[in-house]
Formats: sequence, C-alpha cells, structure tokens
Amino acid sequence: MRTIGWLAGVGTLLAGALYMIVSLNRWEWNRALFFGLIVLIAEVGLATGLVLRRLARLEYRATRVDPAVAQILRETRPPSADRFAWLREPARDLNVFITFLVGGGVLLSGMAWVVDRVASKSSSPAGEERLGRQLDPISYPAGGLLLDDITVLAQEVPGANDDQIRQLLRRGGRP
Amino acid sequence: MKLTPMRLLLGAIGLGVGIVGVLALREATLSTHEPVSAARETELVVSAKTKGGEERQTLPEMVEAQVQTCRLEVTSDLAGPIEPLGDGRFRAVLTPAMDETNRRQFRGCVEDWVIDHVRIDVIELANAT
Repeated sequence: MRTIGWLAGVGTLLAGALYMIVSLNRWEWNRALFFGLIVLIAEVGLATGLVLRRLARLEYRATRVDPAVAQILRETRPPSADRFAWLREPARDLNVFITFLVGGGVLLSGMAWVVDRVASKSSSPAGEERLGRQLDPISYPAGGLLLDDITVLAQEVPGANDDQIRQLLRRGGRP
Repeated sequence: MKLTPMRLLLGAIGLGVGIVGVLALREATLSTHEPVSAARETELVVSAKTKGGEERQTLPEMVEAQVQTCRLEVTSDLAGPIEPLGDGRFRAVLTPAMDETNRRQFRGCVEDWVIDHVRIDVIELANAT
C-alpha cells in the first residue's frame, strides 16, 4: 500500500511536469498553470512523505538501543557538577560569598535602621497631631460642663470632694 | 554526503539537461515575428465539443467567443463570420496572414482552456494566398 502511494505520487509528479512542459511548448498557458499546480501539490506531498519517513526512522533508531551499551553508558556517566561544594567548606574560611553575605546583611541592617529612625521621627508627631485633631469633636467645651468654682464651692454637691472632679471644675471655671 | 566522481558526473549531467531544457523552452515560447510576404490570409478549421454548458449556450457562439478572444493575441483579425461545417466543425479566415510564431500562439490559445465547457481542437491552420 505504501509502495502504491509512493508510485502514485512520483507518477503524478512526472506526468504533471511532462504535461506542463508540453503545454508551455504549445503556448497553452492555462493548461500549463493547471499542470504546474498539480506538480506543486505532488511535490509537497512527496516532500512531506519523505520527511515523515525520516522522522519515523529516527524514532525507530532511538528505541533500538542495545541494553548492554545503555548499561555501559549509565555506568560511565560522568558525575554531575557539585555546585554547592562551598557549603561544606570549614566555617573559618571566609570566601567571597560569605563576605558578600555578611557585608550585604550589615548594609541592609544599616539601611533598615536609618529608615526606622527617619520614620519614627516623622510619622509619630504627625500621627499624634492627626489624632489630636480627631479627638477635638469629643473634647470638653472650653467653658466647661459645670458651673463655675464659686457656685460649686458654695453648694455641697455629691462628688465635690473628688480630686478629679475638682480639677475639672477648676478647669471649667476659668474664663 | 560524500562527493564521488559518479555523483559529480550525474550532477553535471542533470545540470546540463536542466540548462538545455530551460533554453529550449525559452526558445519555444519566445515571440520572433517575421514578415509574411507570399500568403494573404490564414485559414482556420477547428473541431469543437461542449459538455455541461449552461442553458441557451450554443456551440457556435462558444467557438466564436474563443476565437475572438484568441485573435486579440495576434495581429490578424477575422475576415468574415465563422462558418459551421457540420459535425462540430467550424471554419474561419483571418487576415493578414500570420507568421510562424503567431500561428503557434493562436493555435495554443484556441486549444487552451479559455472558456469553460468547451474544448476546441485545431484541425487546420495554414496560410493561403
């Protein structure tokens, strides 16, 4: 079946090419174009078939590896590169990596300390000021909530002997 | 791929055949006009067949359409109407007479697939005095 396909493709290619040349020789341009198209189709088909056949051969070869050869190759496989050998070196040997690591840590710590100081100096006063403004609506009025000191002292009211209330009263009694 | 003398020889032969073929095809399709002194007109006799044409399409008008189309490719023109000879044959006379290149070109066009559903074969295409 495969041979028939190849023969059909090659036959179509040759016949198309022959008729194309004959048509050109006879000045029959439309026929020549038609047979040229047939040649092109057959050529693409044959080329695709050849490529697929070559790929199939490669796959067949890849699956036909001798087990003994494969075993030898596995046994003689070179060791993989040890890229972390420096981790096993003694700690006293400060190499470049450790130097950079420690130096980088110190540098980052210093930068973090500077940022922290600057932030604490700038954000705390601003935050307190903002908090104070937010507390304004619930603060005591400037005139106080109660009567003035004289009136209060003239009357015996419950809680008048409380220090805090006295403080409030004095504060409220100011002009 | 290893180059062996045999392969080189085959390659050279293939290259030579290709070059000769292209040159031959170029020569065969090149217009080289020459004066026609003896002949006065060119006589055309064709055999035509139609298959699967549209309704109200007749063979004579299809032949006339193709001949008129192909006459635009040469320097000659129809000297009169196309005469039906019966049995799918038609005769036409073109003036002035065509030279060799024009005859080949005209024959190729008439026998080419110019109009759908009609196939025309040139039976005779010759110059006459």
